[in-house]
Amino acid sequence: MKFYKPTSIPDLFRISEEIEGKKYFLAGGTDINVQIKNGIIKDEPVIFINHLNELKGIKESEDIILIGTLTTYKEIIESDLLRKVLPFFQNSLKSFASPILQTMATIGGNIANGSPTADVTPLLLVLDAKLKLFSKSRIREVKLSEFFTGYKEFILKANEIIGAILIPKNAETGFDTFFEKVGSRKSLTIAKLEIAGLKRLKNNKIEEIKIAAGALNEYPRRLHKLEEFLTGKDIDRIDFSQVEEILNREITPISDLRSDKEYRLQVSFNLIQSFILN
Amino acid sequence: MINLKFKVNGKEVAIKVEDSKRLLDILRDELGLTGTKEGCGIGECGACTVIMNGDAVCSCLILAGQLQNAEIETIENLERDNILSNLQEAFLEYGAIQCGFCTPGMLMSAKALLDKNPHPTEEEIKTALEGNLCRCTGYIPIIDAVKNVLDKY
Repeated sequence: MKFYKPTSIPDLFRISEEIEGKKYFLAGGTDINVQIKNGIIKDEPVIFINHLNELKGIKESEDIILIGTLTTYKEIIESDLLRKVLPFFQNSLKSFASPILQTMATIGGNIANGSPTADVTPLLLVLDAKLKLFSKSRIREVKLSEFFTGYKEFILKANEIIGAILIPKNAETGFDTFFEKVGSRKSLTIAKLEIAGLKRLKNNKIEEIKIAAGALNEYPRRLHKLEEFLTGKDIDRIDFSQVEEILNREITPISDLRSDKEYRLQVSFNLIQSFILN
Repeated sequence: MINLKFKVNGKEVAIKVEDSKRLLDILRDELGLTGTKEGCGIGECGACTVIMNGDAVCSCLILAGQLQNAEIETIENLERDNILSNLQEAFLEYGAIQCGFCTPGMLMSAKALLDKNPHPTEEEIKTALEGNLCRCTGYIPIIDAVKNVLDKY
């Protein structure tokens, strides 16, 4: 197995472009290191990036919060800036893994790992987050909602990495917030399903609503059809049988070792109903 | 192979190891520090917890290539000159051990907490120990031990 340790971001892209074929970028290592140990990764080169300080930290500009890809969950949970600007986002991540793993795991690694159950992705989706993608000669911004194309598949090009996560500072402002992660235990659990939501009512009518689902499709995604159906509705006059019907067309849960399809369908409907009504 | 330089329990260590060798294996196989245990090997049980640069981490999830210049503290650093630390004494006093396999990891997570926050609340103790599993169902004595070491610590 060959390992590389770039000294800077330009050096990272120089090394990466020299390696043909599949390669891994090792951030916090909480997933990749297990795959190395179990022999799932054995021939592909691994590039250590966790020491590159340019990719760490939380910054603010006039209207955007920028979270460097190598920022750890611990840094996110303890950030004074996020406590002030995005408290819902910050609080929701306290259930992530365990404090030991929060110290090690990075936000960019969590997204790039591409798991359908990634805790952070549904939250970022309702906050209309964007990703800043870095490659040797260019930086481009894409909407997180347009980043995934399939199970563990993204629009990332060869030798391109997630450089930072961008969240509008006012993303939570004025909204009722909702986040539920359903698991077998409180900490150290992989989600059976996750629902994140933001809604704003005016005169009992839903003026704006955003709902994202995790572990219910090949990748976490916004439930746009359901959002469209709910927008403008009086919350006392919503036909929940229709909500269930639309939901069941928008999510495609599977039965696996953590849960089964019927449970996931029922519980996600229950959670969405309680989000809308409370 | 890399020439790895880092500190373990205050002492400089320089060794030549594979980049992919886990911190856990370096401690146990290269340095003979077998107090750190391997449980699940995937970061979910906390048996292999050590302190790295001040934070509790799973030594099974860190590769040699990530360790350059790091400062590591292991369970062997708690006892000094054959005298147990107050934290270890409290674990004995409160019966916070049964089979003992999770104990080194529990002690290191508790120490990482107390080093930063000498007077944690019960909630803070529970949160700090969330990543350490005990299969003898001994959580209450463990939490009591950490709570009651505070005056002495």
